[in-house]
This record gives sequence, structure tokens and C-alpha cells, in this order.
Amino acid sequence: MGWTREQAKQLADQILSYSRARDCDVRLDLVQRTHTRFAANEVTTSGAMVDLNISVSSRDGKRTGTLQVNETSREALKKAVARSEELMHSAAPDAEYMEDLGPQQYPEVHAFNEETASATALDRRAGIQQAMEISRARKLKCSAFVQTTSRWSAIANKRKNFGFFASTQATFTSTARTQDATGSGWAGGASPRLLDISTQSIVERAAKKAESSANPRALDPGKYTVVLEPQAVADLMPNLLFSFSRRIADQGKSFLSKPGGGNRLGEKLFPDFVTIRSDPFNAQWPARPWAGGGGAGMGGARGGFLGFGGFGGAAFEGLPVRKVTWIDRGVVNGLSVDRYWATRVKVEPLPFSGTLTMEGGSGKIEDLIAGTERGLLITHFWYIRPVNPQNVELTGLTRDGVWLIEKGKIAYPVNNFRFNQSPVNMLKNIEAMSEPVVTALKDFSSSPMVVPAIRAKDFLFSSKSDAV
Amino acid sequence: MALDRAKKAGASYADIRINRYRAQVVNLRSEPDFATGKVNHVPTASDSEIFGFGVRVIADGAWGFAASYSVTEDEIARAVKDAVEIAKANAPLRSSPLELAPVVAVHDTYRTPIAKDPFSVPITDKLALLRNVADDAMKVSGVFSVTGFIAQRVEHRFFASSDGSQIEQHVYQISPEFTATAVEKGKKQKSRTYRPHAVTAGYEAVERAKMPSHARRVGEEVVNHLKAPPVTPGKKDLVLLPTHLGLTIHESIGHSTELDRALGYEANVAGTSFLTPDKLGKFQVGSEIVNFKGDRIRKESLSTCGYDDDGVKTRQFPIIQKGIFVGYQTIRDQAHLIGQKESMGCCYADSYDSVPFQRMPNVWLEPSSKPTTLADLISGVDDGVLIDGRGSYSIDHQRYNFQFGGDAFWEIKGGKVGPMIADVAYQSRTPDFWSACDAIGGEALWENIGLNADGKGEPGQINAMSHGCAPSRFRQITVLRTA
Repeated sequence: MGWTREQAKQLADQILSYSRARDCDVRLDLVQRTHTRFAANEVTTSGAMVDLNISVSSRDGKRTGTLQVNETSREALKKAVARSEELMHSAAPDAEYMEDLGPQQYPEVHAFNEETASATALDRRAGIQQAMEISRARKLKCSAFVQTTSRWSAIANKRKNFGFFASTQATFTSTARTQDATGSGWAGGASPRLLDISTQSIVERAAKKAESSANPRALDPGKYTVVLEPQAVADLMPNLLFSFSRRIADQGKSFLSKPGGGNRLGEKLFPDFVTIRSDPFNAQWPARPWAGGGGAGMGGARGGFLGFGGFGGAAFEGLPVRKVTWIDRGVVNGLSVDRYWATRVKVEPLPFSGTLTMEGGSGKIEDLIAGTERGLLITHFWYIRPVNPQNVELTGLTRDGVWLIEKGKIAYPVNNFRFNQSPVNMLKNIEAMSEPVVTALKDFSSSPMVVPAIRAKDFLFSSKSDAV
Repeated sequence: MALDRAKKAGASYADIRINRYRAQVVNLRSEPDFATGKVNHVPTASDSEIFGFGVRVIADGAWGFAASYSVTEDEIARAVKDAVEIAKANAPLRSSPLELAPVVAVHDTYRTPIAKDPFSVPITDKLALLRNVADDAMKVSGVFSVTGFIAQRVEHRFFASSDGSQIEQHVYQISPEFTATAVEKGKKQKSRTYRPHAVTAGYEAVERAKMPSHARRVGEEVVNHLKAPPVTPGKKDLVLLPTHLGLTIHESIGHSTELDRALGYEANVAGTSFLTPDKLGKFQVGSEIVNFKGDRIRKESLSTCGYDDDGVKTRQFPIIQKGIFVGYQTIRDQAHLIGQKESMGCCYADSYDSVPFQRMPNVWLEPSSKPTTLADLISGVDDGVLIDGRGSYSIDHQRYNFQFGGDAFWEIKGGKVGPMIADVAYQSRTPDFWSACDAIGGEALWENIGLNADGKGEPGQINAMSHGCAPSRFRQITVLRTA
């Protein structure tokens, strides 16, 4: 199972050899996933899947046609290339067409763990069994999910560019609920190495949160000082980072736009202690060494179907990634720039890629709680959606544990809330931060990040939620 | 072969799905060049064809699943072995063996009725249509950009089970739409979308949508929206058009009546439900005029097909009757857990390599039996808002507290529709909201609203379904100002 660099290159070269177009881009992804799901104190679904995505884009200097397939016979590959060329001929000229890149130097990123790639159902069962035993012993109703993903990716084109990247990812999350359904707790972890995830600790954290959040007292909505656990911070970040686009800022559609035109690059908008980077080399969650594309995607193959509203397939395609500081000690230090926009504003393209990291303080979350006169401790957020893209106002809800803090101590659990809050203002309102830690991989929201817990004032909760 | 091997390896039940998915997305983005202001048109034409199989077994009372893109005899044999081993490895963790509701074994085929195969329509024609729309919308002064797409897919599914069924289905789905955006640089932005109903049908759905004839209206409305004054927040009556109400139905009624959520199977990700099994047949979710059906047979609805991924024949069933919660969406391995003897046919996997599980069918609101018009709904409102289209949406993990925005808003004063207003969202609690529903439009106003992409499960899967409804009125709902 899996590819070596040479095997991936051989397949890419075979596909490119069938091309008659001026340019041809190939993206390959061989993906092996395994999972076990446990819910309501029962193992539910479990599986092992192997999937292949071959994406072929034919290009003629004005037009691009892209085809995604997964059959590998010689005939199927030849047909795929021919069909991508037909698509190219049918497509209209692209006013933002960018020529293919020549050979690139991709940095070495070590992200593959053999033990994770070869984990069996019995290996995955260990964490699930811990969840089951703890939940039964403590009379809780428990759910857990463990997944491993092994991925072998390659990028290649007719201009002799080639990149190869092998990675593994493991994730474990658990939710415990009290039998009377008045308390709920969640915890999770992620790593390139399955064995580095402490499933016992995650299950116990979820169980403790469920027990200590039971029978919450009613508390009115309003503005509160909040202590956000690292996962809650991570949940709010993707929408914030979407605004860090030079194109969107220049078009006047971001909080980083100036009224009437221009952007706020170089302006100090946040406190001195706010520094946010993306780092593809972060050892806790390393990332692919090139930007854009990736084989999977373009919409449509799976159950739902969406239009593709991005900047076009070649926006960042194949650019080597690097560590970038987006906010440097409160100053807006970088905006991502796609290849076309870079030509128009005469700067180098700058992809956003890699794991988001945020500098923190030196203490623990307990220190943040101890320094809070009155506030709310939040586990994580759910169903976050943009309300106003201009100021990044978001709405969403707290989930799986909210507690009132009084005079530096957790007083009692309270109900969940809906929030209406911009993470821009949240960053401006930070009072203190803990040491950063790696967060979990949540299926519908954030990727793992390395962020601190934070204490921020004036976080707006607009209504109460009865959900537990 | 797969089913025989599974049985020999110790499976008490097995099924195999061998599926081919073809999809195409044609997209056009039109926006001004940064330096010259000239409109740049950026097309994307992409096609995909994915093939593979998934084997599902029950061995020692537990599920096991394995799937591969390589559809060969050897790979199927390997996958069967893996699936049985996975099931046996997990079996000791089960407190009781799985039970499947009975199913009638069939040999059958199903095909979405289509008049015009969308894959036979040249991409040049689709791009030309989107270009016409963009050109017309951008003639309206103040329109900054336009994006549009035509997305289409066909699932060719083959299902065989150890119960003796062999089912072949061809399901076509298609979804066109376009969005115009207006910007006051660095201050605010608004968008307006024309979203003809996403349906199971052929290219005829795109042709009858007459997108170009809506381009100028959409352009004018987005410019008016940008200039519109903000709403005055407070308790107001809402008249919600089907293009808006479909999503509210989806989040508040569609998800809360999924049995797997109610049982806690989604507790770790998508959440549970306030509609727990003890409320079945008793709980008043809405007013007496509120009636919902679950459905996978209604013509053109996105979840409509012949059989579900358990091999159960699809059907229609009541969910809410006279405001009372009466039915869950179910699949074969869950029906017995609430004392039911048959599945409602709601099993679906979004790919050959995804595990089939309970997914939302079409969930639709019955129209009034009276010929109630939109004017009737509006004339009864003294201070309210008329809302069209989808905006921001969010609901809690037990489906109580929600907040919805919209795509366009008009003030209602003294029983008449006034000018556009902006920055509107409303918050409510599912039973309070549906109890506040005091009027629903008649059958002539009923529209079939398709939702393209609903996420659920671990690993996450995507599903599409429809939520038909007529315009409806809700009294004294909390309205927020969002800017």
C-alpha cells in the first residue's frame, strides 16, 4: 500500500506522456483511511477505505479544462487526458490565466508515521475501549471517534515541475454525556502519529467536563469576559484568516480594507502580544509543501454538489509554501496574494498554507481562570457562520461545557449561549493568554492549530440556548 | 462473489455497492480588473468520473466496512476479508448484536426521469449562458461582480445484498445559480442570489429557470440592498418565502427528527435532538396548521430515488401532524430501537467509500388546504419583514436555538410591502417558532426548495435533499440588526 516518490513520478510521467496540449498539470492523491466510531456506549461503524484521485488539467495558454478520475488502466488514463483536452477546447478564455510554473524547490516536510499508516481495527479499538470502560464505570453515555489517514500526494506538469509528499494524520475525539442529559463534555486531540494521542486523557477530560457541567444554572445573555479553551480559539480562526487576502482587502470587502480603497497592510490593529503565523513545518501538525490543488475536490463527486467559487485552479497552484507571520506583534504583516493578483499589484504571490500558530503566554488555563473576576469558561463552539463579512461578525453557539467564573474560581455550570462576535474584536480585547497547545481535527470546522487559551473582555452572547 | 465470500468468512449479512459518479461544474466569475477596471471573466470547467465499490458486513453482531477504487476480483476479496475482520474486532465492544428491520428482496431498476441529459449539453453553451447572465447583471450601475455556476451529477448505483436484492439506479441532480455583489469599499457589501430549484432532473431544469431574465432584477436588487436602511430590531411578524423557509425547515425540523441524533449516535459531532423518543406521538412542535412529511418519492426532489442504501424501497411518511411530532427518519439497524418494525428508507452513503447511515430525506411542509395567497399573509401584518433567499444560518446541537439571516428583506407596514431594508437576522427556538406559525400559503404557492450540501457523520459525508413549502407567516419573532 502507498507510493514511493518514484512510483508517484512514474504514474505522473505516464499521464503527462499522453498530453498533446501546450501544458498539462497532474495532481495525484492516494488516500487510505480507517476509522472506528463509538456512540451511545456502542461501537457503531468502522471501516477501511482506499481512494485515488487523479486530476488532469490541460491548458493552452488561454484556457483550462480539468478532469478528475480514479481508474488507472492505460486506456482509462489516455481517455482522461483526451477528455481534459476536450474540456479545455470547450472552455472560454480565462482573463486571469497564469502560465504553469517551471521546476520548483519544495521544502522537505516530514509528516509520515509508519505505525499510524499500518494501524489495524484492534489498534483503534484501544481508545474506544477506554471510552467505553470509563463511561460505564462513571455511568456516562459516551461517544468517540478515531480516524487515521495516510496520504501520498504528487504534483507534476510538462514544464518538469514535480513534488511528492507522504503524510499520516490521526485524530481522536470524545463526547461524554450524563445519563440525565443535563451535562455534556468534549475533548479531542490530533497528531501525525496515532500513538502520540493520549486517548485516556481525552476520554477522562470529556467525562470530567460532562460531570461538572451537569445541572447548569440559568444565566442571562450579555457581554462577558471569557476564558476560551484553545479549541474555542481555534474554532474562530478560519473565518478571521479568510479576510487576510490581499485581493479581498483591495476590493474593499474586508476589515482590512480602507474606506474608499486601499488596504491596512502594515497597520497596528491588535495588541502587542498578538502574533499569528502559518507554519507548514510545525512538527505537531506538518503540512504539504506546496499550495493549491491537491487532487481531491473541485466539487461534485460526492453526495452533495457545489459550484466552485474560488479564484480558479491556478490561483496558488504549485507555489512552495513557507512560514509566514500574518500578524506580527499586533501589526498586519502579511496578506495572502494569489498569482494573478500579484501581477496586478506588483508583489510576489504569497499563499496561505500550513498550520496556524498563535503565540501565547507562559502559564496554564488555570492561571487565566485565577485572574478572572467574573467571566465564562468556554469549552468549544459549534455551527459558526459569518453574519457580516465586512467586520467578520460571526454567530455560533457554545457547546459541551460552560461555567461561570467568580473571583478567580469556577463557581458553577451555566447554560449554553449563542454568540454574535467578531474575532477581530476578540483579538483586540485579549487580556491574557496561556501556553499554546495543538488542537483537534473537527470534521466540519477547524483543522488542528497551535494556539493558546485566551482571556478576552466584552464577548457578546446574544441569547440563551436550551441545548445540552 | 463478494456476498458468498462474506458469508463464508462468517458474516451474517453483507451488501456491496458498486457505484460510478459523474459530475460536472461549470463556473464563471466576472469582476473588474484591479488596474484597468475592465471586467475579467474567469471560467472554470471541471468534470469528474469516479468509480469504486464498498462492502458492508455484519459479523458477530457488529458492522464492518471496506472500500476501494480498484474494482477487481482480488481487491473485492481483500475488502471482504478486511470488512469481516473489522466487524469481528469490534464485536466484543457491543452490548447486544445489531438487528436489521426486514426488507423485501427485489431485482429492480430506477432512473430519474429526465428530458435532456445534462452531460450532452456542450460546456460552451453553459458558459455562454453564464456569460449572458453576468453581462446583463453588470449593466446595472453599482454591481461589482457576478459569479454563476451550473453543477450537475449522476450517480449510477448498483446494490446487491445477502437478503437477495439486486438494484440498479441512475439518479440525476442539477443545480444552477448566480450571485451579484455590490460593494461600498471598506464599509459594506451585499450580495443577491438567484437560485432556481436544485432538483433531480435533466438540463430542462436549467432551461426553464430562465436565468438571463432574472439578471437585471438581481443586479438592481443588490444595489438597492446596499443602499437600504438597517432594520429596527425588536419583535416582528415574519413572512418567509419558500426560497428562505426551506433552510429553516431543514435545520429546525429536518435535523431534529433524525432518529440517529435522537439516540445519541451523532453526539460527538452533529449533535443530538430535543425530540427524544419519549416525545414521539406526544410533543407539540408547532401550531395545528403545521404538517410535515418525510419523503423520498416526490418528483424532482433531491433525495428522491427508488431504493435507499439498505435496499429499502423509498416512501413517504408523516413527521409532524397537526403540530405534533409523529415520525422519525429511520434506517434498518435503528427501527427496532424505538419499537418499529420497518425502516423509513433513509439510508445513504455519499460515495462508494463511505459507510451508509441515516441521512435526511426530503422533508416538506404541507400547504394550506385553503387558497391562501401571499397578499393574504402580508395583509395581516402591521409591523413585519418579508424575507427571500438564504443568508447566514446557525442552530444549536440539539436544534433548539437558531439564527437566520436572508438574501433580501422588505419592510411590511400596515399590511403592505414597503422598501428594502438591510442587516436583518432573526432568532428563535424551534418549538416557539413553529407554534408562532399562524398562516401557510395555499398549494399554488408551494415550491420545492433543494439544498445541495448537508454535512453529517464521522467521517463527514454530504447529502442533498429538498424542503418544499409555501410562503408562511410567523408572529412576534425576535429580529436583530446585524450591522
